Amino acid sequence: MAENGESSGPPRPSRGPAAAQGSAAAPAEPKIIKVTVKTPKEKEEFAVPENSSVQQFKEAISKRFKSQTDQLVLIFAGKILKDQDTLIQHGIHDGLTVHLVIKSQNRPQGQSTQPSNAAGTNATSASTPRSNSTPISTNSNPFGLGSLGGLAGLSSLGLSSTNFSELQSQMQQQLMASPEMMIQIMENPFVQSMLSNPDLMRQLIMANPQMQQLIQRNPEISHLLNNPDIMRQTLEIARNPAMMQEMMRNQDLALSNLESIPGGYNALRRMYTDIQEPMLNAAQEQFGGNPFASVGSSSSSGEGTQPSRTENRDPLPNPWAPPPATQSSATTSTTTSTGSGSGNSSSNATGNTVAAANYVASIFSTPGMQSLLQQITENPQLIQNMLSAPYMRSMMQSLSQNPDLAAQMMLNSPLFTANPQLQEQMRPQLPAFLQQMQNPDTLSAMSNPRAMQALMQIQQGLQTLATEAPGLIPSFTPGVGVGVLGTAIGPVGPVTPLGPIGPIVPFTPIGPIGPIGPTGPAGPPGSTGSGGPTGPTVSSAAPSETTSPTSESGPNQQFIQQMVQALAGANAPQLPNPEVRFQQQLEQLNAMGFLNREANLQALIATGGDINAAIERLLGSQPS
Amino acid sequence: GVSLLLPRLEFKVPRNFRLLEELEEGQKGVGDGTVSWGLEDDEDMTLTRWTGMIIGPPRTNYENRIYSLKVECGPKYPEAPPSVRFVTKINMNGINNSSGMVDARSIPVLAKWQNSYSIKVVLQELRRLMMSKENMKLPQPPEGQTYNN
Repeated sequence: MAENGESSGPPRPSRGPAAAQGSAAAPAEPKIIKVTVKTPKEKEEFAVPENSSVQQFKEAISKRFKSQTDQLVLIFAGKILKDQDTLIQHGIHDGLTVHLVIKSQNRPQGQSTQPSNAAGTNATSASTPRSNSTPISTNSNPFGLGSLGGLAGLSSLGLSSTNFSELQSQMQQQLMASPEMMIQIMENPFVQSMLSNPDLMRQLIMANPQMQQLIQRNPEISHLLNNPDIMRQTLEIARNPAMMQEMMRNQDLALSNLESIPGGYNALRRMYTDIQEPMLNAAQEQFGGNPFASVGSSSSSGEGTQPSRTENRDPLPNPWAPPPATQSSATTSTTTSTGSGSGNSSSNATGNTVAAANYVASIFSTPGMQSLLQQITENPQLIQNMLSAPYMRSMMQSLSQNPDLAAQMMLNSPLFTANPQLQEQMRPQLPAFLQQMQNPDTLSAMSNPRAMQALMQIQQGLQTLATEAPGLIPSFTPGVGVGVLGTAIGPVGPVTPLGPIGPIVPFTPIGPIGPIGPTGPAGPPGSTGSGGPTGPTVSSAAPSETTSPTSESGPNQQFIQQMVQALAGANAPQLPNPEVRFQQQLEQLNAMGFLNREANLQALIATGGDINAAIERLLGSQPS
Repeated sequence: GVSLLLPRLEFKVPRNFRLLEELEEGQKGVGDGTVSWGLEDDEDMTLTRWTGMIIGPPRTNYENRIYSLKVECGPKYPEAPPSVRFVTKINMNGINNSSGMVDARSIPVLAKWQNSYSIKVVLQELRRLMMSKENMKLPQPPEGQTYNN
C-alpha cells in the first residue's frame, strides 16, 4: 500500500505522502494543486505549486485576504502549519481544505505551537507600509514631536506597541479622550508656537499626501489653506479643546435635528459624500490621522468638517460633511451627526476647526448646497421650525463666541461673492449684527414664530412699498437694515429685506440659519436673504468686535432711524442708480430672455444684484 | 459464523474505517472552519493519536485564540469516547487547570457518548461550551501558554 494517496482517494489520504516521501523520489515538476482556505467567515480557493512552503502559501493568501502574512495562522488536520514547513509535509493535496485564522494586529501571536510573531514583529511589519507617512505625520503632528521627545516616557503610559506610528495613534486616541492631556499638550510652548504659525501649519498640511489628494479633488480646500486668517482661527480653536469638544457636541445635536428636514438629509448626504468622505478616508488612512492637518483643512481624522459655526468638534473621527458644506442651515450639523453616527472620540478629530468656516463658503457653492438652500428658503415654515430648534440657539451662541469666524463665514458666502459691494456694506455692519444677535430679545424673537411672522410682514410691506414707490427708499443702508431685520427676520426665510433698499443683502447661509436666509433663489417673495448678516450666527459673535458701544438696542435704534430716514426720503448715499449698478446683470438677463427691463431691474434691486435670485423672482412673480 | 458477523458489520463500524473517514473529513475541512483535526503523526497506523484545533469563538474571552488539543481514540473507539486533553492553556469549566485534561463527566457529548459521534463532534461541542455564559467571560491565561505534560 505504497500508493500515493491522491487527495480524492477515499481511504488513504495522508498515508500516501508519508509513504511516498520515504520511498520514491518526489515527482520532478511541481504540480499545481488547488487548496481551499477557509476562515470562519469565508472560503477561497488557491492554486499553488504542490511543493510550495507554508510561507509561500501564506504570501498568496495574504494578498487575497488583505492581511499581513504574520497575521495568518494556517491549520490543517488539527496542526498549525509553520512557515518553514511545506504543504506536502503536512499532506496537503489537491482539493483539501486548510483552515485560516487571521490574527488582529495588536495581539501578540501566541499559540501553543507558535510562540513567534510577537507584537513587535507585527508592529514592525505593519509599520513598514506606513513608514512613509510616519515622517510626514510626525512632522505635521505636534503629538509626534512630543512623542519624539518623550518616546522613552511613553512606555510608561502603558502603550503596548513599540511601533512609532501606532504609538502616535494611541497617543492621539488617549489625547482625544482626555481633555486634560490635550490641554497640557496645547500649552506646550513649542506646540503653540507651531500652531500659531499659519505658514508652517499650511506647509505641514500640504506635506501630507492624503491632504494633497484631497486638495486635488476639492480645490476649495486649498483655498482654505491659503487663507491665513482662516488658518489662524482654526489654530485658535484647535488650541481650545474644550471649545472643540463643545462644538462637536453641538454640531452633532444640530445635525440630528437637521435630519428631519425634508430634503435636507439628502443634500447633506450628498455633500458629505462629496467632501467629507475623501477627507475621512484620507485621514483614516494614516494611523491616527493628522490632528493638526485637519486643523487647517478642518477635517483630519475624518472629522472633517465641523461647521465652525457650531464650534463643536468631535474629537472623534467625524465623518461629517465638511463644515462649509453643511453650513446650509444646519445641514452641516445634521450631516455631521448623521454621518458620523457614533462620532466617538476615537482618535483624531483634532482638526476641523475654523477651517470649517471656509469650507462652508466653498461648499455653499456646490449645487447640492444650493438646492438645499433653495428648499429651505422656499419653505418658511421649515425655517421657522429650524430656527426654534434649541440647537439653533446653541449654535448661535457658539457663533457669538467667535465673531471673527462668523464674519468670515458670512463674507465668504458665495452669495456675497457675486456682490462685492454687499460685502463692503456688510462689513461695517457686522459688529452691530453680532451684537444684536447676542441680544436675548432678538433670539427669543427669532424663535417666536409669531414674532417672525410679524417681522416678515413688515419686510413684505417694505418690499411692496419699495416696488410701488422705489424712489421713496433709495439709499437705505443695506447693512443695518438687513442686519437688524436679518437677524430677526432672516431666519424666517424668504423675508424680504428692506426691499429695494440698497443692495439687498443676500442671506448668508451661515450655519443653521443660513439657509433660511435666503439666498437668492429663494422662493416667492424672493427677498434675498434679508440680512445675510443674520447670519444669526454671525451676529451673535462676540461683542468685542462690536463697534457700537451702546447696548443691544443700539442697532435697533440705528435701524429705525435709518428706516425713517429712508422713508422720509433722506439719503443714505452710496447707492448709485440701480440701473447703472446692475447694468451688467440687466444685460445678462436680457440675453437669457428676460426682456422686461423694468421687471428685471426691480428683481435685481430686490435681490441686490444677484442674478440667480433675480431670475427666481422673475419666474416666481406670477403667483405672488 | 457469518450470521454473527453480519449484525456486527451492521451495527458497528470497524474502528479503522471510522477513523479513516474522520481523517479525510479533517483534511477536507468539513464544517464551518472553526475546528480542525488530523492525525498527530501521519505514519500512525493505529490512528490513535490525533491533534485537534479549536478557534475561539467571537465575543468571548476565547476570541481569536487558537486552542490546540490532543485526542486519543482508544481501541474501543467509537464505542467508547476518546480522551481529550487541551495542550493550550485554557480556563474553562470541565477542563483540569493544571493538566488540561477534559473531564469526560462534565462535557455532555463525552458523558453521553454515542458511537455516531466523532472527533469533530467533540471539538465542536467544546467550542460551543466556550460560548456558554458560564465560560465565555472567564479570565484566560496569556496566549501561547501550554500545559507541561
